[in-house]
Amino acid sequence: MAFFIPLVNVLLLGVREDGRWTFTRLRTIVATPYVRHLFSFTALQAFLSTLLSFVLGFPLGWFLTRYSFPGKRVAQALTLAPFVLPPITVALGFFLFFGHTGYLNSALKSLFGLAEPPLRILYSLWAIVLAHAFYNAPVFARFIHAGWSSLDPAWEEACAVLGVSRTRAFLTVTLPLLLPAIFSAAALVFVLCFLSFAIPLSLGGARYATVEVAVYLYARVYLDFQSASALGLLEMLITLGLAYLYVRGGALWAGPREGLRPRPTVPFLSHPAHALWLPWLFLSAVFFLGPLGAVVADSLTRPLMGKPPGLGWYKTIFSPEQNPFIGTSPLGSVLVSLEVAGLSTLLAVALGLGVSGALKVLRSRALEAVLMAPMAVSSVVLGLALLLAFHEPPFSHLPGKFALILAHTLIFYPFVVRIVRPLWEGLAPSWVEAARTLGAHRFRAFLTVELPLLSQAVLVAGAFSLALSLGEMTASAMLSQGELVTIPLAIYRFLSARRFGAASAMATLLILLTVAAVAVWEWLGERSLRAYGQA
Amino acid sequence: MRKFFVLLAAVAVLGVAKELVVYTYDSFVSWGPAQAIKERFEAMFPDVRLTWVAVGDSSEMLARLIAELRLGATQADVFLGLADVELPRALANEVFLPYDPAKIPNLADVPPELLFDPTGHVLPYDHGYVTFVYDSESLPLELVPKSLDDLLRSELRGKIIITDPRTSSPGLSFLLWTIAHYGEGWLDYWRRLIPNLLTITKGWSEAYDLFLAGEAPIVLSYSTDTAYSYIEHGSLRYRVITPDGEAYRQVEGMGIVRTTKEPELAHAFLNLVLSPEIQELIPTTQWMFPVNARAKLPAGYEYAVIPEKPVSLDPELVGAKLEEWLDLWQKLLIGG
Repeated sequence: MAFFIPLVNVLLLGVREDGRWTFTRLRTIVATPYVRHLFSFTALQAFLSTLLSFVLGFPLGWFLTRYSFPGKRVAQALTLAPFVLPPITVALGFFLFFGHTGYLNSALKSLFGLAEPPLRILYSLWAIVLAHAFYNAPVFARFIHAGWSSLDPAWEEACAVLGVSRTRAFLTVTLPLLLPAIFSAAALVFVLCFLSFAIPLSLGGARYATVEVAVYLYARVYLDFQSASALGLLEMLITLGLAYLYVRGGALWAGPREGLRPRPTVPFLSHPAHALWLPWLFLSAVFFLGPLGAVVADSLTRPLMGKPPGLGWYKTIFSPEQNPFIGTSPLGSVLVSLEVAGLSTLLAVALGLGVSGALKVLRSRALEAVLMAPMAVSSVVLGLALLLAFHEPPFSHLPGKFALILAHTLIFYPFVVRIVRPLWEGLAPSWVEAARTLGAHRFRAFLTVELPLLSQAVLVAGAFSLALSLGEMTASAMLSQGELVTIPLAIYRFLSARRFGAASAMATLLILLTVAAVAVWEWLGERSLRAYGQA
Repeated sequence: MRKFFVLLAAVAVLGVAKELVVYTYDSFVSWGPAQAIKERFEAMFPDVRLTWVAVGDSSEMLARLIAELRLGATQADVFLGLADVELPRALANEVFLPYDPAKIPNLADVPPELLFDPTGHVLPYDHGYVTFVYDSESLPLELVPKSLDDLLRSELRGKIIITDPRTSSPGLSFLLWTIAHYGEGWLDYWRRLIPNLLTITKGWSEAYDLFLAGEAPIVLSYSTDTAYSYIEHGSLRYRVITPDGEAYRQVEGMGIVRTTKEPELAHAFLNLVLSPEIQELIPTTQWMFPVNARAKLPAGYEYAVIPEKPVSLDPELVGAKLEEWLDLWQKLLIGG
């Protein structure tokens, strides 16, 4: 609550003056053609980005559900890597990989003997949509994977027995059962793309801006907090309104599902037909790994003192002379990031489960949408709210690190709710009823019956939370002080100090750390849940 | 005996409790002379602790300070890093106390044309020039622009990277520069410039990174860039140009926060920052020019350019018209 009140206060700045309600400011802003133009463009790019993220993410989710292959856990963790990168690093990855002089164009030029770069993807609406899909396709992939793996295979087996074709079974049985997960993911992705800021500016090539740019302009350049808040409020109403529609839409298909068996996976390439996946896998790898690889390559090739660096940039980021550049030692920032991410993930998962449980009882879709607010709010507004919240008791007494952990918990728990809700809703009540009939306490029934059945969702939710916290910028920048510097902040500081190679090395470290943290989390989670199931 | 120790502890606590808090932007601390200033200051006043608070860029920190002052509480005693264009906003929000020149002897060595605040609240501590930089290995010599009009040549289509005037300070300087240079015709100039822009980035780092990656041969940056790459990397590949002999001047200032309880210490701090000793650190940490005429420039700084005709608009005028200009600018670029 102590966090929500400042948030509400900041948002109300836009509609209150001298203690009275006033909508004139809101009306003037909405009447400006430029602002309307911004809103329509922002919604359009968010819609297109969500669509493309789905198109790219769905097959990936399918692939992860259906096949087993060596290194699957790492591949799964790798899908979350784009998520942690600060927009500036993603933009750099895109420039280096898709740019006119980038790796892809250079490779195509030498392959086909061309004089001009064949791919002119960047600096257009397309580039914005692609970069957003790069960020968010993994959301669809992992949500669908979590939803699909916990679908009872009996449905599809029944179809097979009844002689229904596989395509038809997919369209009429599997897909409808997956819709809650798909809508849930779409709600999140739309919100994230709607609030995007730096990507549309940099990759769009001078002609595009989102509403966030206007919020920034009011809050930071004109210091007109009222107008900034009015715009932020409007943004939030739109994103939450749409999120509500998505949540409702998904709920239409959420039927109870009886019975649960683990879904069998097939070893990949155990059948010749699997080879059909290969071209798609190749293209996905180029698209997702290309920009990541470009950042890694940059850290290994950008000249250091005019010479090829080798591992020089890595030595640089771990040498104490660089400490002043980022305010702490790079190792210190790694430890801070890990500690904050680890603790805020545990808290966010607990809070998310609690809220999901409460929503299951309360059944208010409107409340469900409102509880997404910390995610649906403009980062500029969120920054102001954090500034207010952590300036006054009780939070001002918190040491900075705990303030940051708390902030992350509150910003990320909606992710947990969005993943867990559709699955929990789909759980057949008979399980809990059976456990309770057998004399189990309500909480014990949750721990021993529901939680293991929700394991997939909880694991994915935690993985997202980890990745989000590792990559978070707004709260980290607002609450950073002294040695409390997270890795993304260190990246920014290296960039502004012209240590571009060091920034790439730090970003590479962030990618590796994320993959490792997520893989370990999922491995530990699966192990303990399995042990729990046997007990 | 016990009482004595309690008393001693209390004295010790009170003794080090004096603190001077300075808000600044992050890079002033991370790669600027902040640490050296702290060491010098604490050597001069052994019972005072100097604390830098730097969690954002200059405009973020100013917005934060103003928000805090409106909320009624800030810990800041001094703000360092005020861009000259922000002056009217800072004055309108009554952020600063007027300084007392008698308490800042080093002020005598600062050329009067750099004192950009006629109201006597904000003092300059460095200055720099926003202009274009080109890659001498990829831009043919005949295409190197000698004037702002040359930037419109059709051969430069998609070859220029600039930063956004709404979100970055060099971007804003360039916008003001075109207004100062073309007067009423500035919007028309921009209309013709658009095809030549590869992209407009949010901040300077992205633009410069893109330029180094070879995406375009011309970037909006600072006139000390050649000196930087010469001193740091021994390279003269990236060269500064001053179209029409011009470049837009940025002066950075500092002032004493209205609510300070330590005005004497704050004056001593301002004086220290203006001393030749600290000013000589500015060129190779801030990559800006010092304001103290007695400060010596390091070897290699002969490649840093002070334009024949520095351009700057009156902060008062900028304060009054900025919203209108940005509005016209974004309508032209983005439509609506």
